[in-house]
Amino acid sequence: MFQHLRDLWKRISKPRPGIMAFPEIFERFQELMQNHQRVMELMADLGEKSGGEYIFDRKYLADTVEEIHTLLLHMVQGLNLITSNRYLELHPALDRLFVPLEAELRGRLSLSGEMPLIVCLSEAPLDRPELIGGKANNLAVIIQNLQLPVPPGFVITTRAYRLFLEHNQLEERIHAWLESWVAGEQDERQTSRQIQYSILAGVVPQEAATEINRRAEKGGAYWAIRSSAYGEDGELTFAGLHETLLNVSPRGVIRAYKKVLASLYSPEALVYRQKMGILGEEAAMAVLAQEIVPSRASGLVHTLDISGVESDCLVVYASWGLGRTAVEGRGLVDRFLVERDYPHRIRRQEIAAKKTLVRLRTGGGEEVGAVPPEEWAAATLSEGQVYQLVSWALTLERYFKRPQEIEWTANQDGQCFVLQSRGLVLPKAVAPAKQDVYERCAQYHVLFRDTGVVAHAGVGAGLVAQVASDVDMDRFPEGAVLVTKYTAPWLARIVPRAAAIIAERGSAAGHLATIAREFRVPTLVGVKGATELLKDGLKVTVDSKDRIIYDGQVNELLQYELMQSLAFEDAPEFRLLRRLLRRIAPLHLIDPAAPDFSPQGCRSVHDVIRFIHEKAVEELIDLPGLVKRFKGVHIFTLVSDVPLGLKILDLGGGIDPAASGSSLYPEQIRSAPMKALWEGLSGPGVWSTEPIPVDFKGMMSSLTKAWAETPGAATVSGFNLAVITENYMNLHLRLGYHFNLVDARIDPDPQRNHIYFRFVGGVTDMTRRSRRAQLLANILSQYHFKVDTKGDLVVAKVLHLPREDQEYRLRVLGRLIGFTRQLDIQLRSDEDIPEFVDVFFEQNTPARQSTLA
Amino acid sequence: MQDKLKIMVLDDEPIVCKRLKPALEKLGYEVDTFIRSPEAMHQIQQTSYDIVITDLKMKEIDGMRFLEEVKKQRPQTEVIVITGFATLETAKQSFRKGVFDFIAKPFKLGEIQDVVARAAAKIKGAVA
Repeated sequence: MFQHLRDLWKRISKPRPGIMAFPEIFERFQELMQNHQRVMELMADLGEKSGGEYIFDRKYLADTVEEIHTLLLHMVQGLNLITSNRYLELHPALDRLFVPLEAELRGRLSLSGEMPLIVCLSEAPLDRPELIGGKANNLAVIIQNLQLPVPPGFVITTRAYRLFLEHNQLEERIHAWLESWVAGEQDERQTSRQIQYSILAGVVPQEAATEINRRAEKGGAYWAIRSSAYGEDGELTFAGLHETLLNVSPRGVIRAYKKVLASLYSPEALVYRQKMGILGEEAAMAVLAQEIVPSRASGLVHTLDISGVESDCLVVYASWGLGRTAVEGRGLVDRFLVERDYPHRIRRQEIAAKKTLVRLRTGGGEEVGAVPPEEWAAATLSEGQVYQLVSWALTLERYFKRPQEIEWTANQDGQCFVLQSRGLVLPKAVAPAKQDVYERCAQYHVLFRDTGVVAHAGVGAGLVAQVASDVDMDRFPEGAVLVTKYTAPWLARIVPRAAAIIAERGSAAGHLATIAREFRVPTLVGVKGATELLKDGLKVTVDSKDRIIYDGQVNELLQYELMQSLAFEDAPEFRLLRRLLRRIAPLHLIDPAAPDFSPQGCRSVHDVIRFIHEKAVEELIDLPGLVKRFKGVHIFTLVSDVPLGLKILDLGGGIDPAASGSSLYPEQIRSAPMKALWEGLSGPGVWSTEPIPVDFKGMMSSLTKAWAETPGAATVSGFNLAVITENYMNLHLRLGYHFNLVDARIDPDPQRNHIYFRFVGGVTDMTRRSRRAQLLANILSQYHFKVDTKGDLVVAKVLHLPREDQEYRLRVLGRLIGFTRQLDIQLRSDEDIPEFVDVFFEQNTPARQSTLA
Repeated sequence: MQDKLKIMVLDDEPIVCKRLKPALEKLGYEVDTFIRSPEAMHQIQQTSYDIVITDLKMKEIDGMRFLEEVKKQRPQTEVIVITGFATLETAKQSFRKGVFDFIAKPFKLGEIQDVVARAAAKIKGAVA
């Protein structure tokens, strides 16, 4: 038996033939870490580019994606070298990601098999108007990003349209008919009749039809079937040219679908497309099916008065019943004029004598009916409803960056819905004369100029509302300018309500900046002194394109921006960038213990590098065991009052060359990151060895662990190892039951610098461990670490900081490692978290008071 | 009111023109944009521009030839060259042809605004 064990041990401990020497493995590891870093940087660059400050073209996007691809290939190879090819499945995982990314870049993805024939509005892919049409794209954004109420529905995509044409062999024929019209052989009525007839006679392919019927018959609702052509509600307006069918029974949806498709070739639509010079381009129609709302009242909101009389007002139009009365100008409607400026006073309401309405007919379709006399002169909307519509309308205008025309409806209970939102076409006479915006702006008092970093470019105005805590957030007024010291992630909740954001700190690559870009909120970060100068209630105009903050509302500038022909966010390059980012940036793989933490589970570039990083680090976790197997590797033990039993492996320049024997003293450390961290960890009062009071629950939990150690006692284990060089440190610390990893580089060039901190585990129950994770996240984010937590796992990182800032943060990390090592036992409730955050800050100067941060 | 400086922007990527025009107009310049070099070539025969911003690598007429023509027509016109990273070397050669400055894609709006402001200062200095 003993012999057998000894043989086994020999087999495990003997270096296998072909295995790389340790320094070589470590070199690979470092290379992998550097590539990881570079990919993180490229991803951050791409993110920043979506904020509008940069001018870039498709070539930049293609080059960046290619560079990322190359780096990932190297990383996959590197990991496989370290792990003797245990992760070869990463190669197909890369293909799954990069084949569609490259197809996106070539503009070939939308109509490929990867895109759906039918898709639910709430799950429709964004930034693909060529797939779901302009109208549906706007609605998908309104539901998914702005979270306004929209009746549920689904989209029959342009891919389904093409399939329909193919299935019925229509493409060629339509083309021939159009040609003979252009050649003057037929008039548009004949042409239209021929095409429309053949579409109506066509058969919807089985794979699409089955899915349409399944969705239409679910829930038994009746449907509104609307066109959503590509280009519609975008730069071109096809308003009213295509068919809308209301109150369609579930069984009638397919027929209605074909009717709407046919309307793409109505005589009016043909003439319009010829006039706009787009007849030659392929027309493609997506069709939107939405559940019908039994409307009590419906109408429109214009965010500007198109009569030009009250240029500072929004106009709400409303009538009884369905929307046709207001939308098609069929009858008299109520008009509410509401001031655009906060607090949005209703300036005037003009109540019309509304004697007829359009309503749903039982069994399908619509009909005109009489309004009961007592309702002729009644206001269609309550004041509260008007305010709600106005607030939505301004949100939509802020997001789409153009004056909007919004169709809305209210059900029998008075609950309002957005039916659609599109750019408002202003009659030429009404559009403000193009004035000299430069001269007009020059007359305003400037509060800040050339200050800060652009996180999202744009112009927004409103009253300043400073936010420093959760309480302030609830009081944050719609459309105010958010002014804050930090870009803390918890601010994300109010971003959609802000007209602009100004932060004293933070970076354009940070979490809040990402959210601001998602909601297109003009944002400047790094505006020093903003909270001093911009007090609550002050009205300001933020031009984050030119990094100017004006005192007061600069109407000329706001109008100038609203009248631009194209919001940069809607340019094809920006849409493409956002589509690429969706396949690159999101991180889904957080928890290494989760079953989908695998090459198959990687759904983004970020997932892949996270996976590789984790697996490479895992390999190094076993370093102490690994290192022993290599002869000639000299490992020191650090001699210190802090009882860690830390082993140190120097790969070059990390320690005093004079060091010999097996003991190393802290003053012999030369590695810059190691030195800084150790200063923090061994500082006075950090390594408290007082026994910690353990409450009953904490104690029970500790006792049930087989090798529970006495709280406060020294914790020495074989896992404490630092691999260092002159400017690099990879430190593994196992303290009791939790595990710290710090990977850091301090280079003269800040672009190469990083600190990566990972913390997991603990001795008590999951709730308390999670609390400690919360506490860590809270503290670290105040030092501008980007922090992700999941359960008891904390992953924090900072990038690109100069030497002093790196050292400062490593000292903080050292103190934090000491501070938190027993904290899960002490964190009895969520309320304890802020208290301990305060305790830490009392003992340590936080970033906000430091000159370095 | 002082006369505004006239700027021409020529780049066959429409996004560059679309973004530069409002960004420069806001600074008080008069801006014409072109995405096709022959049209721009035609235009410089008709109108004199104080500043011309041009891409280097374009279909049809190449940026280097275009800027030679600009300089031939009106030597005092300041030319700013936009270039992709790959053509950086060529861009450096363009200095010899009297180019005011060049700027590599992708660039920040603020960067090009600064270069334009310097060119404008030079023009105004020459006039005064």
